[in-house]
Amino acid sequence: MIEKDISKYNNLFSEYTELRIQENRSCAISIVNGDIMGNNRSSESGVSARVYKKGVWGFSSNPTIADETVKTVIKAATENALYLNDRERKSKEPLPVSVGISEKDFMTKRKRKTQKEMIDFLKIVDSYIGKTYSDLTARTTVYRCLEMEKALLTSEGSQAYSMVPRTLIYTSLNIAKDGQPFDLYEIFGGFGQFEELFSKPEDLYEKIDKQYEHLKKKSEGVYAKAGIADCIFGPDLAGILAHEAIGHTVEADIVLGGSIAADYLNKQVASPLITMIDFAHTSMSKLCPVPLFVDDEGTQAEDAILIENGILKTFMQNKESAQHFGVKPTGNARAYAYSDEPIIRMRNTAIVPGKDKLEDMIASIDDGYYLMKSSNGQADSTSEFMFGIVQGYEIKNGKLGRAIKDTTISGIAFDMMKTITMVSDDMVWSCGGMCGKKQLIPVGMGGPALKCKVNIGGK
Amino acid sequence: MKSDRELVKYCIDKMIERGAEKAQCYLKHNKKHELNVDAGEMKLLRTTFDTSILLKAIINDQKGDLKINKKDECSIDRAVDQVIELAQSSLPDKANDIADKQPPKEFTSGREKADLDVMYDRLHDFVLYEKERYPKTMIEQAIVDFTQSNILIQNSNGVDFAGNRGLYSSSVMFTSKEGEKASSFNYSGFASKELDKPLHEYASVDMLLKQSGEQIHTSAFPGKMVGDVIITPDCLSSFIYYITAYLYDYSLISGSSIFKDKLGKKIAHESLILHSYPRSQEIAKNYFFTYDGYEAQNMTLIDKGVLKSFLLSQYGANKTGKPKAVNSGGCYIVEPGTTGFEEMVSSIDKGLLLCRFAGGNPSDNGDFSGVAKNSYLIENGKITKPVNETMIAGNLAEMIKNIINISKERIDYGSEIYPWIQVKGITISGK
Repeated sequence: MIEKDISKYNNLFSEYTELRIQENRSCAISIVNGDIMGNNRSSESGVSARVYKKGVWGFSSNPTIADETVKTVIKAATENALYLNDRERKSKEPLPVSVGISEKDFMTKRKRKTQKEMIDFLKIVDSYIGKTYSDLTARTTVYRCLEMEKALLTSEGSQAYSMVPRTLIYTSLNIAKDGQPFDLYEIFGGFGQFEELFSKPEDLYEKIDKQYEHLKKKSEGVYAKAGIADCIFGPDLAGILAHEAIGHTVEADIVLGGSIAADYLNKQVASPLITMIDFAHTSMSKLCPVPLFVDDEGTQAEDAILIENGILKTFMQNKESAQHFGVKPTGNARAYAYSDEPIIRMRNTAIVPGKDKLEDMIASIDDGYYLMKSSNGQADSTSEFMFGIVQGYEIKNGKLGRAIKDTTISGIAFDMMKTITMVSDDMVWSCGGMCGKKQLIPVGMGGPALKCKVNIGGK
Repeated sequence: MKSDRELVKYCIDKMIERGAEKAQCYLKHNKKHELNVDAGEMKLLRTTFDTSILLKAIINDQKGDLKINKKDECSIDRAVDQVIELAQSSLPDKANDIADKQPPKEFTSGREKADLDVMYDRLHDFVLYEKERYPKTMIEQAIVDFTQSNILIQNSNGVDFAGNRGLYSSSVMFTSKEGEKASSFNYSGFASKELDKPLHEYASVDMLLKQSGEQIHTSAFPGKMVGDVIITPDCLSSFIYYITAYLYDYSLISGSSIFKDKLGKKIAHESLILHSYPRSQEIAKNYFFTYDGYEAQNMTLIDKGVLKSFLLSQYGANKTGKPKAVNSGGCYIVEPGTTGFEEMVSSIDKGLLLCRFAGGNPSDNGDFSGVAKNSYLIENGKITKPVNETMIAGNLAEMIKNIINISKERIDYGSEIYPWIQVKGITISGK
């Protein structure tokens, strides 16, 4: 646990300075075929400072949290900023002032489970899978939690404390058919701690049973036919599309680095049915998977409405990019560890629901695919994307048909988004994502089902 | 205040005192200086100090692992209590163990301190060079850092290793633009003990910057075919990662590896020789010992197409009954072939120069598919134009059997050394 109020260090700042004290606590347990392969805990904490001077930054961090090291890192960060300023002489204006105050502690009030209790829980889940599905060639159950606790103080007067937890259980099942191996994963949990999310192992069984059913069908499935096809993207896929293919292209630092989206502001980039938002903390009166109230530059976090009725409206900003574009910072500056500097990151990026029913969307397709789950995704500054598809079905004459084996889809997101003709009226958040961009960081992504045209890799 | 060596010994003694039958402690200090260019401008200088202490305790064949970053006695004592609790809460597994006793050794590599002025000058000059030479290309981010690492590892069997390493590394990511047209982003990087030449002369940096400008205007790959692909050294890194993933603990313990029964057998074309050389002078980003406490040795993973070793840790070896690897993988070197790159290109009537692969994780059976990024069409023995929205698909096990040529030329990234490899039988499909 770290000190919530670090305002006592206020008198140590001589330049624009952000001071952050942070602890990341994590836990991981993995059970493979009944054996515990991993049983780990870790805690990383420390203090860091970032200093701005006329267009350049200095940063320093130290794992020891003490008055003396706080002084040392502020001094070192200041010296680093002065070193660069001395050489670069950019003479830029001061950053826009943005003051945020917040204290959000999402620590569970329930009695904390011991490692043994969590292992016992996972053993029951693992044993259920092993006993119920004897034809599996392998099974893996993994538990991971991350608690990010931060206290921030800035020379502009921002003060923020947060403790944001995320807890996930993954199950992965493997099966063989005619000598060919197949696998499929499922994720449980999200925002919160084990005590809040997992009361009894049996609660997981219904989803595991479905996971097995999908895997079995996949092993008996067919290869998707290569080429452009009418598809329904399930909510998981809509979420990764929002984050990976569109979201990254409209992060202001990527825009400055050459993203195609730089020229698309206030232009039609998607079907008028599409509105896409990077939510700060709350969506439809519910807390998002990765709630952020004040970012790591001290800015009060606000929703960034990226696409509204198909028109690109804004980029995600930190203070410096906001100054460049002449807009308000959106509170997207986030750092993963105490030793990381804040950079522009998404928070909870989602396409908002429409008015269609999923069953009507499927019924509207004569020959196409329902794509439900992705293994991973990559995208480009051109918005060209690629997602691995690990769960999906054919749609024939408006009905779900045979399962498809693993495949890949690709396209140019800003083109593909214009082909969307139906958007379902529900929405699912996926909260297992870690986004990689210099630093890894937890993100939320979500969406409804989408009807669109996309290129399928096939065999 | 205890010295690091005293601290590591204290951790082991304390774990044994608290009931551990076997104990290991790994202590690492990193001091890092890092300069960042963002959107073509020098922006940030970072100096960070990190400490990692990894404790491993085994009690009645039950194992716990704990990582902290504090060195004070109070934190250490609390961590020891926690790791004992972790071990006690686990299940017995006879495969859990610590490394056998080996002669104590201390290893050193690279310089002790960063030369910040040289780092700044190299990065500053690189930005100027890039702007002047490639005006359509924007550096999205460029990083130069120097990390000084000091590591100690000891265990209750008497293992006692120390390693000290100083290393520069750099990465650069860029995109080219003309009007509303943009290239795909691309990136390169390297590790080096010294920064004794301009950054663009390292690894593939200059070659990829030059290509980036060409890739603003792309064409569709015509039609669909099964044919030859030349995999560039940058892209080969991704495929070596996918292939070696099948040789590690998880893949072999779970039984999902496509190579699980292939030790000593031919898995690739006889021209393929893949080394893992963490102790070679050829590799700047080397390592001295494994996380489980064994001195790392060089090995050949694939020799003339024959799989010579898995990448199993001590636990993985105990669990599967297969031999333990003599290192933890990485530091890969592919031996050069006898064909020149130009000769490889001229041998292809129609095919693809695959420069970057954005793909889904390969399936358990080795099938892969994805997008060929920053890649070129080869027609009538010549590289003709950059392509867009081109997908490729194949099978990893088949792909390494279908090697036709390996180039004489190679690129040294400091962490790996790779040639260009020509393979047949890859499905290439245009839009």
